[in-house]
Amino acid sequence: MKDKLVDLDAAVDLVRSGDTLTFSGVSMVRKPMAFIAKLIQSGKKDFTIIDREPGMDFDILVAAGCVKCARAAMVGFELFGLAPNVRKAVQEGEIQFIEETCGAVVNGLRAGAMGLPFLPVKGIIGTDLVELHEKLGNWKIINDPFGGGEIVAVKAIVPDVAVIHVQKADRYGNASLEGSRFEDVYKAKAAKKLIITAEEMVPSDYFKENPERNTIPYCYTTAVVHVPEGAYPTACPNYYPPDYEEVLRYLKMCREGKVKEYIDEFIRRW
Amino acid sequence: MHPADVMIKVMASQIKDGEVFLHGLASPMPALAMFLAKLTHAPNMVYLAVAEGIDPDPEKFKLYPSSADPRHAAGCIGIGELAEAFDLAAKGKVDGMFLGGAQIDKHANINLTCIGSYNKPKVKLPGGAAAAYLSPIVKKLILWTTNHSKRTFVEKLDFKTGIGYEKGKDKKVVVISNMAVFEAEERGLRLISVHPGFSIDDVLSEMSFEPVVDGYTTTQPPSDEEMKIIQKLDPENVRYLEFKK
Repeated sequence: MKDKLVDLDAAVDLVRSGDTLTFSGVSMVRKPMAFIAKLIQSGKKDFTIIDREPGMDFDILVAAGCVKCARAAMVGFELFGLAPNVRKAVQEGEIQFIEETCGAVVNGLRAGAMGLPFLPVKGIIGTDLVELHEKLGNWKIINDPFGGGEIVAVKAIVPDVAVIHVQKADRYGNASLEGSRFEDVYKAKAAKKLIITAEEMVPSDYFKENPERNTIPYCYTTAVVHVPEGAYPTACPNYYPPDYEEVLRYLKMCREGKVKEYIDEFIRRW
Repeated sequence: MHPADVMIKVMASQIKDGEVFLHGLASPMPALAMFLAKLTHAPNMVYLAVAEGIDPDPEKFKLYPSSADPRHAAGCIGIGELAEAFDLAAKGKVDGMFLGGAQIDKHANINLTCIGSYNKPKVKLPGGAAAAYLSPIVKKLILWTTNHSKRTFVEKLDFKTGIGYEKGKDKKVVVISNMAVFEAEERGLRLISVHPGFSIDDVLSEMSFEPVVDGYTTTQPPSDEEMKIIQKLDPENVRYLEFKK
């Protein structure tokens, strides 16, 4: 095993402008916010960002002008409302938005992780999403070769970089996801490069004692970064819950036209 | 009584003992309804959710603003990835799913994508989440809206994100608003009941199409015992946040 421990700046160096990126977590849980702050600071842009149900990660990257295309099944702040910057950018035609549906984006990532060109996915047929994705070349209605009728083939999603915030990792890039995993293992395995950010660094013996703790083994990992509170203000299960007050403060500053101030502050945090 | 509590009771009554139900993000009322069912008439229902805890412990539960809040999985018996819940649905083994609807038509098709055109939307909505995938493959689709109005119940959807009634399919589609309960049939959306405190005129005057009305009842609100359960699970009234002030 090679030592893959680097700092956030070195990890950001692995990303190029124009890359397709995916991030861990959903909504207000385990989003790699520290990495995103450094990514904004780097000035890189024109990203395509893909996820199932993101929130503040997508919204702040769009607010910072880093995004060319966003692809997700839902983006928002749940009971706190719509994602203000994604909404504005889409309505004003500043970014392309591709609406996904959960089952398709999950299985697209799984196909990517499995090295398959596509996976067949049930449901979906009869909705307006089909035409949209057929035009874009992401999905195609095919006939089940075994006589089961029409089904949607979802093209594999292979991001250039996945950034996954985990609870524990060792310096070689073995990583432990505790509690909800969402699609993070598939994202990690689908991507060409994998950056792990970790709340806590552990010795490799932590995994040797209980190998089932190793949810993302080192052979998938490109770089690992130690970032305590790296998901803040989103949650990191077993470490801290979402900071709802901070998320509301972000939304308030967005409403007041102060999102640039928030971004400056956000970058300075790390 | 707050309409949220009436809606939670109606949602819970859709869940039969032993059934598998799933809820997604932004779903405080479905979460409470699943617990209410489990603690009353459906102790063996299987609770699957976006926070990925299978059968979380109601004794340890408290409702927070994000449905994915890791504390919502407290005391669960295992972790079930949402991807695995989707697999189960593809096998026909998820009985019910709850989905919101920004626009709902008379066949209970829903729009959660955009107001106006997709390419140049007047309002870009949060998105359909699992609607397009799950709506055609679950046996019970429970739709809800906290905004019973002509803007919600529309003649024509701006975008079809999810599929409601499907002829000849073993699928029940129930629509629960803050004023009434409907079920989708071939004839259209049939009024089942009107919530206490609302009249039939309130319900009909706030819809852009005419539902099928051939006899309806008053919606059964939660009992005092059921209200105690709801209050205990949500002492800070997070469930009311979804309603317009």
